[in-house]
Amino acid sequence: MTQTPEEIADGVLAGDIRSISRAITLVEDHNSLITGRKIIKSIYGMTGRAGIIGITGPPGVGKSTIIGNLASMLKGTGKKVAVIAIDASSPFTNGSFLGNRIRMQDKLYRDGIYMRSLSSRGSSGGLSRSTWDAVRVLDAAGYDRIIVETVGAGQADLDILGMAHTIAVALAPGLGDEIQAIKAGLMEIASIFIINKMDRDGAFMAMKDIEDSLALTPQNEWKIPVVGLNSINLDGYEELLAAIEKHLAYVRKSPLSAKKRFFNEVKAALMAESELRINALTESSMSGLTDLESDVRKKVDPYTVAEEISKSVLGDIA
Amino acid sequence: MAAGKNLSLFKDKPVKVLLAKPGIDGHDRGMFVLAKAFRDAGMDVLYAGLLPTPEEVVDTAINEDVDVIALSLLNGAHLVVFKKVADLMKKRGIDDIAIVGGGTIPDADKPKLEKLGITGNYGPGTPLKTIIEHIIMRAEEARSRKLGIA
Repeated sequence: MTQTPEEIADGVLAGDIRSISRAITLVEDHNSLITGRKIIKSIYGMTGRAGIIGITGPPGVGKSTIIGNLASMLKGTGKKVAVIAIDASSPFTNGSFLGNRIRMQDKLYRDGIYMRSLSSRGSSGGLSRSTWDAVRVLDAAGYDRIIVETVGAGQADLDILGMAHTIAVALAPGLGDEIQAIKAGLMEIASIFIINKMDRDGAFMAMKDIEDSLALTPQNEWKIPVVGLNSINLDGYEELLAAIEKHLAYVRKSPLSAKKRFFNEVKAALMAESELRINALTESSMSGLTDLESDVRKKVDPYTVAEEISKSVLGDIA
Repeated sequence: MAAGKNLSLFKDKPVKVLLAKPGIDGHDRGMFVLAKAFRDAGMDVLYAGLLPTPEEVVDTAINEDVDVIALSLLNGAHLVVFKKVADLMKKRGIDDIAIVGGGTIPDADKPKLEKLGITGNYGPGTPLKTIIEHIIMRAEEARSRKLGIA
């Protein structure tokens, strides 16, 4: 059944699952770029209500398992919950095995939680290109909490920073000592630290390493908590839930955050837009921006030409 | 439409396939072989995990908006369980997600499954290439419908 973008947008706003699913498919696919954009434009006014929770951390620490349990508990408090999980795609074949779902499968169906798996499509940074749009669709559809799971993250996969209100960095015992804990990157973006697998040896040492490193950092009003979890018997989950809700409330109080988020959104849209346009350039259309023939003749270097072109479009940076 | 005619359809967003063994059948080794082969063929692969119900499979397929559901059973219950999946899809009015089957399916049952729209129905020993080509072919139909270019 083919629907118009307007029908799909209406369905999304009404919370219809099939429309939500289809909308995410359309924003994910370059073949339907125009339709996808149309949908986003018509639902955007209804976004901005959801609390967006990012869960990131290295592969295998239990992010998906944590999300399954957390989503279930949030649902239990009467919230409408959706999950987006990103898994890595192959740099060789572009294929992927989207395995996050298996870890939370039993809770999803039982509790009626919407969950969507996306492959990273070669994006580095921990998210896929269309993650922002997928979040917007779910936000407009009336979900109160949207949990975004990044690809198993390395030290510098920080895309989630601009998107989520609250970022929980999940770690497990045995990943490193106090030297790891004071490194830059991933360790700096957390609003909450999670140490999962508290039943394992060294778990309390891992907690202590993070706490010690936080003690060295001048903190603002928000004191970053370190929460220990045992995902087998659900120890610590009440504490995590409380910390997340407290942080969401804290972020909402700040009048700066909405403008800053919108700045991030426009910046991401600009990047997507310029990538599109640059990819669409041909020899002849570039000739409208610079005189390629004379550039070649005069042996002008490519940076000078690129700077001239972008200056004429975006203005001077400095 | 033959496989491979319209592969540009999947250039940006690969074929998305859900592997599932609905019903009481825990023989998942073959599923892992297929999952890996499909991934290496450039698809986005989901696996429904052990012992999902037909309802869970359909729910997952809709949430994920897959192109193809690939069902497999080795326990002889395919006529009941595959049919249940096809019926649930029909009941929810979904015509843009294709269903294919496989497992230990007697030749006599294949036409019955085809009648329900469940194609392929390959048995043990089928070359992976045959299965992959069939999935791509069915995915082309499904994706074209999703994008409204059928």
